[in-house]
Amino acid sequence: MKNKGMRMNTLLLLSIIGTVVVVLLSAMLLFFQTYRRALIRNAETSGQRTIAQVSNTVDTYLDDIDAVMNTLYTELEAGETARTEFFDAFLRIRPDVIAVSTYNGAGGLVRCYALDREPLRTPGSNLSLDASRLEAEPEGYVSAPHVVSLFAGYYPWAITMVSPVQTNQPEEWVALDISCSNISDYINDVGIGRRGYCFLLDTDGNIVYHPQQQLIYSDLKSENVELISTLADGSHVEGSVIYTLQTLDNERWRVVGVSYVEDVIFDSLWELGSILIIAALLILAATFLISAVLSKELSRPLQDLAGAMEQFEQDADNFSYEPGGGTREVRDLSESFRHMVLRVQQLMGTVRQEEVNLRKTELRALQAQINPHFLYNTLDSISWMCEQGKNAEAVQMVNALARLFRISISRGHELIPIRSELQHAESYLQIQAHRYKNQFVYRFDVDEECLDYLCNKITLQPIIENAIYHGINGLVDDGEIAVSVKGEGEDIVFTVADNGSGMTAEQIDAIMSKERSDHAGIGIKNVNDRLKIYFGSAYGITIDSVPDEGTRVHIRMPRVREEAPYENK
Amino acid sequence: MRTSKKLLPLLLAAALLLGGCAAPSRGASAAQHKVWLVAKSTDTAFWLSAFGGANAAKAEYNVDLTIVGPETEEDYEQQNAYIAEAVEQGAEAIVFSAISYTENAAAIDAAADAGLKIVVIDSDVDSRKVGARIGTDNVQAGRMTAAAVLDTEEESLCVGIVNFDLGSRNGQERELGLRQALEEDARVTGAYTVNVQASATAAQTGVEILLAEHPDVNALVGLNEPLAVGVALAVERLGLSGKVRVVGFDTNVQCVDLMRSGTVSALIAQNPYAMGYLGVETAWQLLEGQSFDPDRLIDTATTIISAENMFTIESQKALFSFG
Repeated sequence: MKNKGMRMNTLLLLSIIGTVVVVLLSAMLLFFQTYRRALIRNAETSGQRTIAQVSNTVDTYLDDIDAVMNTLYTELEAGETARTEFFDAFLRIRPDVIAVSTYNGAGGLVRCYALDREPLRTPGSNLSLDASRLEAEPEGYVSAPHVVSLFAGYYPWAITMVSPVQTNQPEEWVALDISCSNISDYINDVGIGRRGYCFLLDTDGNIVYHPQQQLIYSDLKSENVELISTLADGSHVEGSVIYTLQTLDNERWRVVGVSYVEDVIFDSLWELGSILIIAALLILAATFLISAVLSKELSRPLQDLAGAMEQFEQDADNFSYEPGGGTREVRDLSESFRHMVLRVQQLMGTVRQEEVNLRKTELRALQAQINPHFLYNTLDSISWMCEQGKNAEAVQMVNALARLFRISISRGHELIPIRSELQHAESYLQIQAHRYKNQFVYRFDVDEECLDYLCNKITLQPIIENAIYHGINGLVDDGEIAVSVKGEGEDIVFTVADNGSGMTAEQIDAIMSKERSDHAGIGIKNVNDRLKIYFGSAYGITIDSVPDEGTRVHIRMPRVREEAPYENK
Repeated sequence: MRTSKKLLPLLLAAALLLGGCAAPSRGASAAQHKVWLVAKSTDTAFWLSAFGGANAAKAEYNVDLTIVGPETEEDYEQQNAYIAEAVEQGAEAIVFSAISYTENAAAIDAAADAGLKIVVIDSDVDSRKVGARIGTDNVQAGRMTAAAVLDTEEESLCVGIVNFDLGSRNGQERELGLRQALEEDARVTGAYTVNVQASATAAQTGVEILLAEHPDVNALVGLNEPLAVGVALAVERLGLSGKVRVVGFDTNVQCVDLMRSGTVSALIAQNPYAMGYLGVETAWQLLEGQSFDPDRLIDTATTIISAENMFTIESQKALFSFG
């Protein structure tokens, strides 16, 4: 019982805290999930807004380049000198334009205008014009990023815009090599979230401009272009990355925004999360305290009650119970227990009393019995005396016998004055002295002040009987039986001493623990039992015996003046 | 019950503590790390590109970066002075490219002993206290050079090697790889080395000496950027374009021009931008507590660019910096 099962307050504590933890966790989880979704949606929206702005800017730039193209168409119609002057001025105000070149129908370079630079006469491969695309795309095209290979010692990265043109010379195409410097300044500054950025992708999956282009070219960074190319315009969450795409007006380029879910979540959620966690911990702490106090309040009276019950179990007689505090149920329980304790103790008292009474009745019944052999023998003796004419002796015997019985009966009282008890003993001794032909002598040594106290009747007789039967009988020398009564403090001690053959320890044990086997008269055990029943375990008979020297039997009892309280006990 | 009475408040305290500790630890270390990059030179295209990479990492990792380098690629004493200065200025890490494998070692050891993290890029130093090594696998690059030299119809080849200072580890490794690979080819009749200062002018003189001593040399190799430029210029000046195969290192624009004009047959393009970037990035990572195996080179890609493939998009990316 003690080791099995859980204590009530532990159970209470655990279940309350467990419930609170589960509720808290699920609430927080739910909240985080919802909030995370909201945050991502928010991030997507703001990403889209940013990308829209970038798109606008790049569109504006491309419109601007278109406008430049239109100007070029006009200017290309002018004469050679005018052209040179124009391009010189134009290239100076447009540093983002690296070169303007014109090509014939076969893609051969006709003219190339660049600021302070002359094209190589034999450029070998010219990356600014992809002749193979001209036929397929008569409206012109925008190239992927490449190096301008028109010049010696100057290899800038550029994007080429190729358009058909009509001039008075054998030129059919004009190509504009544009550096990304104008766009880059803008795109480099775009940030989405903490680490997000955007870049330009063309519809073929080439990166047109990326803030970390050189890192990508050096294989230190990479973009998942294959995946991004398949995404439609709008926002897409791919793993931990949010891609936001928007196709530009020219339908060739797309602006791609890259931002990280982590950033979005952590930047805003972390702060909130820490507050939430602290709040949750506080709630937990409060729950813990409250439930600890509560469970203690609930369980302590119960524990007390349990302890009280255990005590009661161990010592029901001397247990007294005062109900403690606690909840009403516990109070009721305690009160019931108190009632029960009282009732049980009452019942136990009753039972014990009944037992004592029963025992007393039994003993009394025994007392009333007279050993018939003793009576016959005595009567035989008297009869014999009468026959012999020993009238005086016969009278003495009859008187002794009469006194013996009178005192034995003594109107049903259990306690009689010691004086009477001594007379009883003396009568018995007189009779026995006759019967045993004066084999022994006896004497009394009585403290006079004890005579008026009470004692159980027939206390001495069984002991004297024992002294005669087991001590004196069969003794060759003269036996002597000495009866003494002495006050000893609050007690009175009777001693019956004989100089007979004595008893062994086994014999003493036997007469102290067994009723007489002949069912005739009262045994020593009976005397002892009565003493203990009447006066308690401190009183009773003790026997000292030395074989061949004699036996001393001590009877201890309190000084008793009145019979009444003992009689009713 | 006795244990649980003690346990529960403990648990509670632990939970509170956890919550308290977890709260402020976001936004990777706010402290800016102070890193010095000590280069071998400051004016070659190679190093300018490396600085570009370093600056990209500087921006990305918010590093307080100082870039220094001596005027000539022989001045290891100046490098040692820079290392000492870095220590004095309170740098936490040095990204270092050693001019001398041996002569720079003491200074680097001293800096490492002063608690600085050392990242070697490009050119190694004889120190056990280097935290990480990044750069070209130079023996392999030497073998690639040999492959470029041997990529010809020519039936016999006599190779002149223009190498820089003997004390520089990477130059010696490149030559080792080169010579190993050349010996494996029966067409090679000889390989002669001349060691010169790492400048185009010195290289031209070196070529003249080589050609004078070994007139049968029909292939020349310049084992770093200024030497490649010098070799190419010398061959062009001597009117040997097309007769003598030229294989150079790195991507100097002069070499590119001379490759277009046919003087240079091939260039071994290292990835200096990556070295600079990874150098600073690795220094930052070391300072943030990561560790690397310094005996395992973090290899930055090396590519052979030949006249034929020089304008493929990959070659463009390797040859020309985006700016």
